[in-house]
Amino acid sequence: MFIRRRTLLAASAAITVASPAIAQNYPRRAVQLVVAFAPGGSTDIGARILAAAAEKDLGQPITVVNKAGAGGQIGFTEVARAKPDGYTLGFLNLPAVNTIILDPERKAMFNVDSFIPIINQVLDPGLIWVKGDSPYKTLADLIDAARKAPGTLSACTTGILSDDHLAILMVQEAAKVEFRIVHFDSGTQQLAGVLGGHVDVAFDNVGSVFKRVQSGEVRGLAITDSERSKFLPDVPTTKDLGYGTVISSSTRGVGAPKGTPADIVKVIETAFLKAIKSPEMLQKMDAVGLALKPMVGAEYARYYADTQAQAKKYTEWALKQR
Amino acid sequence: MDALHHLLAGFAAALSVKYLLFALVGCVLGTLIGVLPGLGPAAGTAILIPLTFSLDATGAIIMLSAIYYGAMYGGTITSVLINVPGEAASVVTCIDGHQMARQGRAGSALGIAAIGSFVGGTLATVALVVVAMPLASLALKFGPAEFFALMVAGLCLVVGLAGNNMMAALLMTVIGLLLALVGVDPVRGAPRFTFGVEELYDGIGFIPVVMGLFGVAELLLAAEKRQTHMVEAELKSWMPTAAECKQSVGAIGRGTVVGFVLGLIPGVGAIVPTFMAYVLEKRVSKTPERFGKGAIEGVASAETANNAYANAAMVPLLALGIPSSPTIAVLMGAFIINGITPGPFLFQEQPALVWTVIASFFVGNVLLLILNLPLVGLWAKLLKIPFSYMCAGVLIFCVIGAYGLKQSLFDVWVMLGFGILGYLLRKLDFPIAPAILALILGPMMEKSLRTTLEISGGSFAIFLDRPVALTLLAVPVIVVGFLLFKPRSLAPLREGDSE
Amino acid sequence: MRQGRLIATGAMLVFCLFAVWQSSLLSLTDRLGPGPGFFPFWLALIGVVLALALLFTTYREPAAPAADDEVRILPYGVGGMRWLAIVLLMAAAAAAMEVVGFRLAMLVFNAALVIALGERRWWVIALFAVGGSFGVYYVFTHWLDVLLPDGRIWS
Repeated sequence: MFIRRRTLLAASAAITVASPAIAQNYPRRAVQLVVAFAPGGSTDIGARILAAAAEKDLGQPITVVNKAGAGGQIGFTEVARAKPDGYTLGFLNLPAVNTIILDPERKAMFNVDSFIPIINQVLDPGLIWVKGDSPYKTLADLIDAARKAPGTLSACTTGILSDDHLAILMVQEAAKVEFRIVHFDSGTQQLAGVLGGHVDVAFDNVGSVFKRVQSGEVRGLAITDSERSKFLPDVPTTKDLGYGTVISSSTRGVGAPKGTPADIVKVIETAFLKAIKSPEMLQKMDAVGLALKPMVGAEYARYYADTQAQAKKYTEWALKQR
Repeated sequence: MDALHHLLAGFAAALSVKYLLFALVGCVLGTLIGVLPGLGPAAGTAILIPLTFSLDATGAIIMLSAIYYGAMYGGTITSVLINVPGEAASVVTCIDGHQMARQGRAGSALGIAAIGSFVGGTLATVALVVVAMPLASLALKFGPAEFFALMVAGLCLVVGLAGNNMMAALLMTVIGLLLALVGVDPVRGAPRFTFGVEELYDGIGFIPVVMGLFGVAELLLAAEKRQTHMVEAELKSWMPTAAECKQSVGAIGRGTVVGFVLGLIPGVGAIVPTFMAYVLEKRVSKTPERFGKGAIEGVASAETANNAYANAAMVPLLALGIPSSPTIAVLMGAFIINGITPGPFLFQEQPALVWTVIASFFVGNVLLLILNLPLVGLWAKLLKIPFSYMCAGVLIFCVIGAYGLKQSLFDVWVMLGFGILGYLLRKLDFPIAPAILALILGPMMEKSLRTTLEISGGSFAIFLDRPVALTLLAVPVIVVGFLLFKPRSLAPLREGDSE
Repeated sequence: MRQGRLIATGAMLVFCLFAVWQSSLLSLTDRLGPGPGFFPFWLALIGVVLALALLFTTYREPAAPAADDEVRILPYGVGGMRWLAIVLLMAAAAAAMEVVGFRLAMLVFNAALVIALGERRWWVIALFAVGGSFGVYYVFTHWLDVLLPDGRIWS
């Protein structure tokens, strides 16, 4: 009754046209994709969809392994220390990787150079949302209220120094307000917190709640990006609302430990790129509200460096608050 | 009534051969996964997700849910037979269940577990149908403050379990809490008490600790006594006797209520309802000293609560899209990957799907009963294997369970270490249950207290504003304090009175 | 028995004292309220008090019946040898597992443990040893996607 994935894949690989100049004998067995967050969450879902699609092009099973904990630190450390033979890949969340490196108290065992960014899959823009029946109908309402009562309006994130946290700091800087910041561990906890009336506003990402915004259960106040989201075309961006400096999103892509040979990296890149560009992938990702933004090679490396620089500024600020 | 109409349609669909087959396969696979110690329903469900990719959405959910319940029951089997809890919730079953096995009553234990699970699950599903939406929204009012209070109440209740050994139980609770705080501090995200050992970043693994304290320790005790079999007594019966069933009726009823109510609250996790049901049962019993030595009500209440919880936990999932425990979060992820996003709109957008799934919960409960009752005899026969092979076999699976979670050898060492510790604690009559509950509740307690204070801006006064939280906090603390300082508890500790 | 309990409680006392010390090294309060050291500190302090109280009451117990005193805590005799066999072989297997691989380590473990616990039928031992190492490895890695170590020295 168990579907023998190996047999199925071997068959499909035999049918696939082999690309020239493939690294000899790679991959010869299953490849691990380490996801630094818990199964069932937004990150994990995107990773599993990607793994299932890329398996066919890679010719070997891609096993998703969850190593959650410490905001991603556990999983990222695992990848950084893995053997650079192409059989252990990491699902890298930015800016999570960056902020962990930048916070001296976390004692990260990896740094910016520990990973080779291979290909980015998702760019999930930040979303500021409130309960559907909340008195705050626009971002301006929220900011006004925050100004009138500094430090009393509560805003929640999915983790310390997560992209959500950085977004709050950006808003605080741009609008000169102060929120009471509450840290949860996941999008679903945010839901419970805001819908239950315990917290006023959530800083989250589109992928986690887009269906609820569409249904009206939840009201999206702003998207912290320069372009509107195709899933929520009616929600204004921070740029539209005059807060163009508030740009924050969570990107997830595949990386390998430093030292992985370039030709193996190329094989991985090719396989995953093919998977990401397939119409089937687009369909699955649309269904879960995750926007694809493939980036490879130099473009991804540059994005990685940019995120690091941006994260640095706000992380230092956050640390000073302690 | 609209709901009833939908439900009947759902039954028609769920009883189709195809979906029936999926449910059956799910139950079987789930039970097998649950039997493997350490692998647990969360990991097991995650592993079996790819299996469902080739099925249609409804079929996928049916199979995954069946895997989930099956895994819960599988954990019971190992708890009773070899004192190794399959996962957190099975810990309580070990306490009386394994003792029953030692008395030759493994059949009764497994049987009543199956029956209790069936009753609890079915009643919970009925309640689900009737009250899903309104209760779900109400449960959301349970915020971090109430959560914290609930955990404190839970811990106090378990300490109350220990009867005359309460001071030792309190001490064990404190130590359990301290161990639970190892790892990453929830406010700064910085490592705490890890002494540079990277594997401790995520805290001391709960599963390796529990497998050690229960499973390995049990083997060590048995080896020392030179037992020839895991369980020396002859198997008396394959099923609970009529008298035993009658004894368990109250337990099953109370277990259902406790499991169901707590299942509605998102985030509670399976271990709290099982402990609470057990404690409640012991408290209302006219012969509490039987608990810990093979009281069938202990097994009945824990197992019923467990399954009622599992079914009730579907309410926050389906009605609100909020998973109640890590395993359900995995389930939710699987749903989403298969294109179904649980949440309130699901009832409106795809009523056929939701009601078919709910109908299949009923079906699944029945299937589980039909599957497992006859197999009880088979499972119990496993106990006839000579001790040497059983011991090695169980240890192999425990090692895989401990290692396989995070590919961590450290966890295997943890298991071994706690095995020896568990052995010593058992011999010295120190109650282990409070430490276990503390270990799992500790991080949740600290996190919820921190979050509560973040929401209140640092002021403890928030508890005064929230009557539910206040009551939950105050009552058990007062009760425990009273019981502790009664003169009787300072009397010599009598052996056999703990747990 | 009482002596055993005293020693155990003493060990717990030491543990709590250690925890008090370690928590005091972390900040107890900061700008946002309780710091990382807050809860462990107070908990450990409560633990110290409890351990002392327990030591006190255990010490003051009236003399236990003779049978109670004869219960030996640490393993001894033939049973003790079996106990030791389990512990030592588990430790050896754990130490060896990542070096020589799961299969080899468990093969030796299975055979050794089962022999130490009294089995003598060679063919059953061999079957069990192989099934419980190579067989189990195959099932878990190929069907259940659980990764088990292959052994550093082989790769």
